[in-house]
Amino acid sequence: MTTSSDARVPAGTVLRGKWNGRSYRLERMLGIGANGQVYMAVSGLRTYALKIGMQLEDLQAEANVLASLDGRERKRPPFLLDVDDAEWQGRLLPFYVMQYVPGVPVKTYLAEHGGAWYGVVGYRLLNRLSELHAAGWVFGDVKSDNILVTDYGRVSLVDYGGMTAMGRSVRQFTEVYDRGYWSAGSRTADPSYDVFSVAVLWIHALDGKRLLHMTKMLLPQNRHPRELMALVRSHAELKKMENWMELALYGKFKDAREASAHWRDRMRAAAEEAVHNSRGKVPGWMAGLFAASLLLCVSAAAFWLLQ
Amino acid sequence: MRQILLITDGCSNVGDSPAIAASIAQAEGISVNVVGIVDEGGIGEQGALEIAEIARAGGGMSRIVSPALLSRTVQMMTRQTVQGTIRGEVNRELRQLFGVESAAELPPDKRAEIVRVMEDLGETAELRVALLIDASASMKPKMRAVEEAVRDLALSLQARRGESAVAVFHFPGERSHEACLLDLDWTDRADRIGPIFGRISMKGTTPTGPALLRVVEFFRETCGKLETEPQHTAPARRDDTDGMRSDYVV
Repeated sequence: MTTSSDARVPAGTVLRGKWNGRSYRLERMLGIGANGQVYMAVSGLRTYALKIGMQLEDLQAEANVLASLDGRERKRPPFLLDVDDAEWQGRLLPFYVMQYVPGVPVKTYLAEHGGAWYGVVGYRLLNRLSELHAAGWVFGDVKSDNILVTDYGRVSLVDYGGMTAMGRSVRQFTEVYDRGYWSAGSRTADPSYDVFSVAVLWIHALDGKRLLHMTKMLLPQNRHPRELMALVRSHAELKKMENWMELALYGKFKDAREASAHWRDRMRAAAEEAVHNSRGKVPGWMAGLFAASLLLCVSAAAFWLLQ
Repeated sequence: MRQILLITDGCSNVGDSPAIAASIAQAEGISVNVVGIVDEGGIGEQGALEIAEIARAGGGMSRIVSPALLSRTVQMMTRQTVQGTIRGEVNRELRQLFGVESAAELPPDKRAEIVRVMEDLGETAELRVALLIDASASMKPKMRAVEEAVRDLALSLQARRGESAVAVFHFPGERSHEACLLDLDWTDRADRIGPIFGRISMKGTTPTGPALLRVVEFFRETCGKLETEPQHTAPARRDDTDGMRSDYVV
């Protein structure tokens, strides 16, 4: 086939669009998805993310989704900036160009900045998902690599290959994050499909080792939300959100907006609990100093009396 | 759209050439995909060649994977074959109507429209997938993975808007004149699929060609009839609004 491209295109290559005529110099590869490769690319003075598709129709379908989303969400700058084909070494490379989003995957972010950030990152993520749902879309492929976090827990979704119109079959998903895989519901796109994946995301991000071990050991007929809940209950950080996790994994939230409101309430409750637990307790170092000064005082008094 | 998915771990050794049978299937409008399933070691050069050849003859694709990757592979192949079939159809229309070779020759904005139509067709077209499972002795340890893949595929098909159904055969059959046996008749309900291969006695022969031909016949008997029968016996259209779906048995 002349339109497929499995091979990497080396950095420094300049792709010139056949239809729109814009040129992009590929700087480095950012990632390989299920149906293409994403590069950081420069055109003029600006940096972009450029995706080269392995398959023309798949790539165009994704571009259609982005275009439709841009049409719905007019208040922000558009995601999709260019769609074109380029010739490279006798092959036709279909590509599209997006805004470049800096940031690291959620799992990496939490590993670098501490698990305490997952509250606010989760809140922002659920809010973003509920915006998509309001526009009639389900993100579909929620997973660590597709959610980039930048400064102070700000969240951007990348790779819209799984994005599916509400009511259709989810276009692309990742097994461990898939509700069908855990016998917890269908693969028809609805808001609670995304919310389920978000719950798995936190288990993966905070307790990934045990989650992956479990997926290897469990027989297919035993895959069930209760197994995931067992992981949640036995992890200190996840346990704070136990109630939310249960509702999400069992598909009890009406939509992501409700899930987000509940998440915020749980966050506040957890923070209050933390304050409550620390009140009345004297920090160890203070108690230690007090004991030391008391000892010093008594011995000084004894010394003075005995003299 | 009709597909046969052959899952095997070796070579045929009885009956006509499986490539000829696959070619007959394609002539009947059925795409044939093949998955070679292997533990350690490999499938052997002979087996790998045969698998690739059956898929080429049947207008489908072939992959050789470990049992752990079976569900994912079956899923991916089915989906890609659906898309491939639709792209083929649409591109043929484009050739006839506009004289262009494929969507690639159209500018991106026109292409966007064409792809939108392709996506709609892919989601809504009727789809039947018959799985044909090699039940020779060496397949025994892999049958659990096969069952899981069938259930997973049914779950995915169930999520489509269009009518979809799976059926499962294994080969060889119990008696010597049976090339293969029906284990599961057309169904679209993943949750209704119980144990599929409860009582198979694993045998040594692998009549891949005759088994493929038998499944082609099955398509003719069950789906062919469907088209000529009066409207009221056709399965009720899926209603997406109430979430209830009638059991779908032909």
